[in-house]
Amino acid sequence: MENIFEQLAQQAVNGITIGGVYALIAIGYTMVYGVLSMLNFAHGEIYMIGGFAGWWVLQIFSVNHVPVMNAALLISLMIILSMGISALLGLLIERIAYRPLRNAPRMNLLLSSFGVSIFIQNFILYFQGAKVKVFHVAHLIPEGLRVFHIGGVVISFMRILVIVTCFFCMVILTVIIKKTNIGKSIRATAQDIEAAAFMGIDTDKIIVIVFLIGSALGGAAGILVSLLFTQVDYYVGFQAGIKGFTAAVLGGIGSIPGAMAGGLLLGLCEAMAVTFFPSAYKDVVAFVILIAVLIFRPQGLMGEKIREKV
Amino acid sequence: MKKFKPQSLIGPDSATIAFFVLSLAVIPVILPNSYWQSIFSITGVYVMLALGLNIVAGFTGLLDLSYIAFFGIGSYTFAFLCSDHFGIHLPFLAALPICALTAMVSGFLLGLTSIRLRGDYLAIVTLAFAQIFRLLLLNLDAPVNITGGVNGIYAFDMINIFSIKIITPENYSTLIWTCALLVFIVSFRLKNSRIGRGWNAIREDELAANTIGINTTRMKLYSFASGALIAGFSGAVFASFQDSVFPNSFGFQQLVIVYCMVIIGGLGNIYGVIAGAVILTVLPEILREYGGLRMMIYGVVLVSIMAIRPQGLFSAIPGFTKLIKRPDKDETGKLRASTDLYYSQKNDEKGNVKFTKQNKPLLKIQNMTLNFGGLKAIDDLDFDLHKNEILSIIGPNGAGKSTLFNIISGIYISDSGKVIYKNKDISFLKPHMVAKLGIARTFQNLRLFNELSVIDNIKISRFCRTKAFFFSAILNLKLNKREEKQTDEKAKKILGMFGKRLTGYRYDQKVSHLSYANRRRVEIARAMATEPEILLLDEPSAGMNPQETLEITEFIKKLRDSFGYTILVIEHKLNLVKAVSDRVIVMDHGKKICEGSYDDVAKNPLVIEAYLGKKGKSEN
Repeated sequence: MENIFEQLAQQAVNGITIGGVYALIAIGYTMVYGVLSMLNFAHGEIYMIGGFAGWWVLQIFSVNHVPVMNAALLISLMIILSMGISALLGLLIERIAYRPLRNAPRMNLLLSSFGVSIFIQNFILYFQGAKVKVFHVAHLIPEGLRVFHIGGVVISFMRILVIVTCFFCMVILTVIIKKTNIGKSIRATAQDIEAAAFMGIDTDKIIVIVFLIGSALGGAAGILVSLLFTQVDYYVGFQAGIKGFTAAVLGGIGSIPGAMAGGLLLGLCEAMAVTFFPSAYKDVVAFVILIAVLIFRPQGLMGEKIREKV
Repeated sequence: MKKFKPQSLIGPDSATIAFFVLSLAVIPVILPNSYWQSIFSITGVYVMLALGLNIVAGFTGLLDLSYIAFFGIGSYTFAFLCSDHFGIHLPFLAALPICALTAMVSGFLLGLTSIRLRGDYLAIVTLAFAQIFRLLLLNLDAPVNITGGVNGIYAFDMINIFSIKIITPENYSTLIWTCALLVFIVSFRLKNSRIGRGWNAIREDELAANTIGINTTRMKLYSFASGALIAGFSGAVFASFQDSVFPNSFGFQQLVIVYCMVIIGGLGNIYGVIAGAVILTVLPEILREYGGLRMMIYGVVLVSIMAIRPQGLFSAIPGFTKLIKRPDKDETGKLRASTDLYYSQKNDEKGNVKFTKQNKPLLKIQNMTLNFGGLKAIDDLDFDLHKNEILSIIGPNGAGKSTLFNIISGIYISDSGKVIYKNKDISFLKPHMVAKLGIARTFQNLRLFNELSVIDNIKISRFCRTKAFFFSAILNLKLNKREEKQTDEKAKKILGMFGKRLTGYRYDQKVSHLSYANRRRVEIARAMATEPEILLLDEPSAGMNPQETLEITEFIKKLRDSFGYTILVIEHKLNLVKAVSDRVIVMDHGKKICEGSYDDVAKNPLVIEAYLGKKGKSEN
């Protein structure tokens, strides 16, 4: 009995870690959906680029897998630069692939995002190869800090880093959205883009900001997961994208707190599922939950039901 | 006299089919080697697949992301039925329909759970289903080997059709393209049938489609299942051609490719979709020598096409679609005036049968109340509409007039109270059932099927009065022929009632190209085409100039006097109300504050108060 509780606690920690990452990805989906009503399928690739950016930073600043600077500084630099590069990429994608389609049917936007996704994936495949890129970071962390034992639960330093960073990002975002002028403009644009424009909000700028924030968070998710599992390859974006998307829908697409809650919930469900099912089926569990939620509560857990005005 | 070509084309004409058959016979001969031969065959599979998706995504506008899973279901079913894997060896011609039906039933079941979800949500549920399907394919090799896991299933029975063995690549390409031709004809015929028009209506405006008598849930389900059927069918052919099935053939990338074919070709445009399928199958082969850059180019091409030609590559290319312009001269060769005024001025109105208000209640609203949150939109409303009566409802904005229409037509369900039509309680009926019973409506903000032609907008309304189903439509049986003819005639007759405004070259014009007033007329015509007894007109003269308002006033009168419609009309223009109404009801804050003849109502102090506010005390 003791054992099963320990196992559940362990899985809860794992679930919160991965759930935090899903939440970060989901925020990007949900914010873009909020202002443009589009599913930005290329978001998964932004996540992937986040991971690669971290790896590039690591390569630049280390000789023979030995970093040339302080470990804490290096890891911070990796995270910050990843976010920056991903944000820039998001910006670029918005400008090139989505802005010309502002008034086109929504299915076109979706397709354009497919095109972007295919391009980025194959760009990385072509220039970086299909081989898995390994992060040699395990030895960067001082011996005494690598693993913590709390009761029977094992928590690695990286897990703590991931959890802390995720929650830090979410808190900052919440403050921005709730308290600042920009946040207010974002919320207004999400409610009604035309009305927001009439009230003097530069909606194009808001869309750009939304892409910047969403992509930065996506990039952060990418580098955090790469650090956690110490590897990245060109194909990780697809799975992560679908998961983040699931989380966004779970929480109610368009709602930022919903995306956070949805991400955590999805992570926890997956982790718990592993205790009871073969791990190959953990994704099946995630999708079954998604389908069930959508059928019984189509607006998601925290979304609002809107009665169509006739 | 210049005649306008009738648009009642049922299927592709024989010249088109002959051209296809001929090119399909010639191409295999001129192909250089068996490599290109196999590309030719696989192109056929993709053409089928894209045409199937075109039914779901193009005709009906459903974002179905599980489409590739049905393709997979067809393939794996074929693998189960025609190989040593389970030791079942069905003949090809028996296995093929089973595969297609299995996929269709799966599609139907998935649809049952999710078809009520709107746009993006449907996309997500179907995407999740497709992912589950792929995970199952990958993992169901243990503990019992069902799908063969990553390795898939291979080595199928040789195809033997009536003792003709399909061995060489040429044999295969003939088989595959015959199937593709079949799918082409079927989808062409469906598109031009009442079923296809119903699907188009759902794509354009689901709610409006519902209110003119289309059971939208069911029609979407049919569309979903038809797509799955074709996907399963192509899947079986694909499996036999590849001689193997792997989970990777049914992944998300493949789905995206098929979607690209459909969208690049132009959603719903059958020839475009075929061209899209051919281009996107052949293009990567041509790019093959560029190796790794190939898929990158693919992505760039996709993004640029979306930016440059958002309606698909094949939309509005001269020669592909014809632009319909207003001719400068009319049929007699005279130059047209800048506006065509007047409705048809024929005075030989069917022996001058005059309908007048009878004292027989046709529709009763009893104690109706509806709350939106804390707001009482309708508050204990109670009135009768008599047979052949024109009853106007007036009142300030927000009085609950349109809400009342929404309740009568079944869009909203009232919190309490009843709607009784011909002694039948219709309070809980869905919009399409209300329409079928004989109550049709127009919308205040116009909800036409904007991307469809004027005549198609009217023809769609005949949906609830016709019966031709899939078999009849695909095989063009007698029933379908008769109904199509009837539909065409009725549509033209109703449009003819508006004079020359909506006839001739207008038939094939897109509704979105019409003037606002003309759109109002099309909407009234659309409501009339459902053969209703009661017409609910929501601000029929909104957006019309004084001259046009006069015309529509005359027209509404004529609808009752000569054609016997019972009419409930919401209107703000009081001269129209005065001219047409037998009785007037004034609403304010969801309540009926006054009822009676126009003159009585106009003098009622409550009405004046509702419109102008209370008199100030100083004046008293």
